[in-house]
Amino acid sequence: MKGWTGNIMRINLSDKTYKKEPYSEEFAQKWVGGRGFALKILWDELKPGIDPLGPENKLIVALGPIAGAPAPNTGKCVVAAKSPITGGYGDGNLGTRVSIELRKAGYDAMIIEGQAEKPTYISMQDDQIEFLSAEEIWGKGTYATNDWIYKKHGKSAGVLNIGQGGENMVLYAMIRSLEGRAGGRPGMGAVMGSKNLKAIVVKGTKDYPLADPAEYKRIGTQDLKKVGEIDKKTGWSIQSTNGVLAWCNEVAALPVHNFRKTHHPDAWKVDGVRLNEARVATYGCPNCTMRCGITIHDAEGHESELDYENIGLLGPNLDIFDFPQVASLNWLCDEYGIDTMSAGCVLSFYADAIEQGAIDGDFKFGDAEKAKELLTMTAHRTGTLGNLLADGSRKMAQKIGKNSIAYAMQVKGLEVAAYNCKFIPGMALAFGTAPIGAHHKESWIITYELRETKRESYGPEKAQKVIDLQRIRGGLFEYLPACRFPWIELGWGIENYPIYFNKATGLNWSLDDFWKVSDRVYALMKLFWAREFPDCQRSDDYPPAVWFDPANADTEGPIAGKVLEWDKYNQLLDHFYNIRGWDDRGIPTLKTAQALDLSSEAAELMKTFKLK
Amino acid sequence: MKVQVRVIGYLIHQAGFGEKEVDLPCPITADELLTLLGIEKSLPKFLTKNGKGITPNEKLEEGDLIVIAPLYSGG
Repeated sequence: MKGWTGNIMRINLSDKTYKKEPYSEEFAQKWVGGRGFALKILWDELKPGIDPLGPENKLIVALGPIAGAPAPNTGKCVVAAKSPITGGYGDGNLGTRVSIELRKAGYDAMIIEGQAEKPTYISMQDDQIEFLSAEEIWGKGTYATNDWIYKKHGKSAGVLNIGQGGENMVLYAMIRSLEGRAGGRPGMGAVMGSKNLKAIVVKGTKDYPLADPAEYKRIGTQDLKKVGEIDKKTGWSIQSTNGVLAWCNEVAALPVHNFRKTHHPDAWKVDGVRLNEARVATYGCPNCTMRCGITIHDAEGHESELDYENIGLLGPNLDIFDFPQVASLNWLCDEYGIDTMSAGCVLSFYADAIEQGAIDGDFKFGDAEKAKELLTMTAHRTGTLGNLLADGSRKMAQKIGKNSIAYAMQVKGLEVAAYNCKFIPGMALAFGTAPIGAHHKESWIITYELRETKRESYGPEKAQKVIDLQRIRGGLFEYLPACRFPWIELGWGIENYPIYFNKATGLNWSLDDFWKVSDRVYALMKLFWAREFPDCQRSDDYPPAVWFDPANADTEGPIAGKVLEWDKYNQLLDHFYNIRGWDDRGIPTLKTAQALDLSSEAAELMKTFKLK
Repeated sequence: MKVQVRVIGYLIHQAGFGEKEVDLPCPITADELLTLLGIEKSLPKFLTKNGKGITPNEKLEEGDLIVIAPLYSGG
């Protein structure tokens, strides 16, 4: 087997043991790596119904055959577990030197199981693991933790770590890396914290097991340079991802006031131009020539790394248009290791619930100082309110009642990314059918909807487009794994990725081979959902109800008077299910599972769940 | 004729402005406007006229608001 290392490191925190385990070429080719590996391992090894924050859950760190090896932008790794916020399969990707170091150590994945008795961190050097005390840094934020580890292990080490949010099991706690990168929105940091695991440090000294190392290196480094040249020519990284903020404001897709409004006259104050003007420094992931991480000074003088999602949700969504204050909220989330996107939605939901009279409180939209206080309470689970906020907007709404679930901006428990779909049906479908909850990484079709179709259309072409993009974004880029930015932002051809894969593995795959893996991965994520929730139904794939409420329609602007329509959304969902070969509950049929080579998984599921 | 032009995202750095009124020869298409503004044409764009999506061949008229944006794909 070439490309893959053929090895997984299994680490048990309860008894401090570890074991190198080989995996087969059949497994490699069926699941490729990253999300594919993590999902299949969790399917095989987790008992249904386990507590996501108990020792029975497993944290997976997974790479793939081109991870780490130079090519456009391969410095990514996937972290996965049963999600504490959704109850289903959860994962995320983040830029990190772990993508390089773990592969050089001779492994494509780590399975971390059990629970350490005391705060611990793992140090891996090739085939050796040490279980070391993390008591000195338990209770510290991610920046201090990262510095502490760099002092002990050097800056060349691959590091994953958590902050107080993960330690206190905030349900949307993230895993952090490289001081500016974060991944695992569906509570992967909380799973790490539940295991008393503060950090993972990896160093490796071996070569990548590439089939054609010279040719891979030639093409990979040449293409990395080309991507950098395209970036310079277009100027994309001048504003980086936040270039989209002004665009969202223009087309009425910006989240403002807990998504109740879609645009705002002050949005320019936090747009890409202003971000670039305030820039202090620029950061990027390994093997990247786009460098999307722009830092600015926050209101307290910290260097805070911003992108569109955290600006949109901690800024306009909270009616905050003061850039240093938005940066402060972002810095706190990063320091505590909690997801900026969920945090923004949780705070906006709380302010909205107070405004609606559903709950008493003194937090108002636009109050940045109070928002900082609430983030600190959340990360430490301080008191009743801190605990309420730490459990995410779905559980909050269940506790608050009074139909507040209608404006809790989440799907399957995971908060919505920073695109307001009040009148963007296809993107609402993309959020609704995202199998890990409302994450934009699965599919994003707003430009297509506005440019190639009518915005008000609910036709099958939109369902097909959501699936096409899921195959690429949530499929290919998540199981290679690699960053999607060269492709989506600079137009770097998707046809380049089979070239890298084939040079790494010696195989001869086409894009169609990848799409079959993508469909298999999406089907198994839904089988995982059905195994956890035998009473699952199509309403699990519904976006927030407030987007359908005529009383919530814009009163002016490009979509004045318009909202989504339930009957038409259900038709769109049917189109999606029909194309996917899923039943009317959104679960793959037995025939579909068999066609995707998931017969054994289907048979396992049918012990407790009837597939149609 | 006078047309209001709003440029978004990284294209601002190619055009050299974010929004301004531009005096243009008549007739003129959206594609010709891109050339006049010095905006790189090899990458796809999202163009709107008075809030509605248009193709590059669309003719512009006095008083139009033209928005020129990169083809964002959702980060």
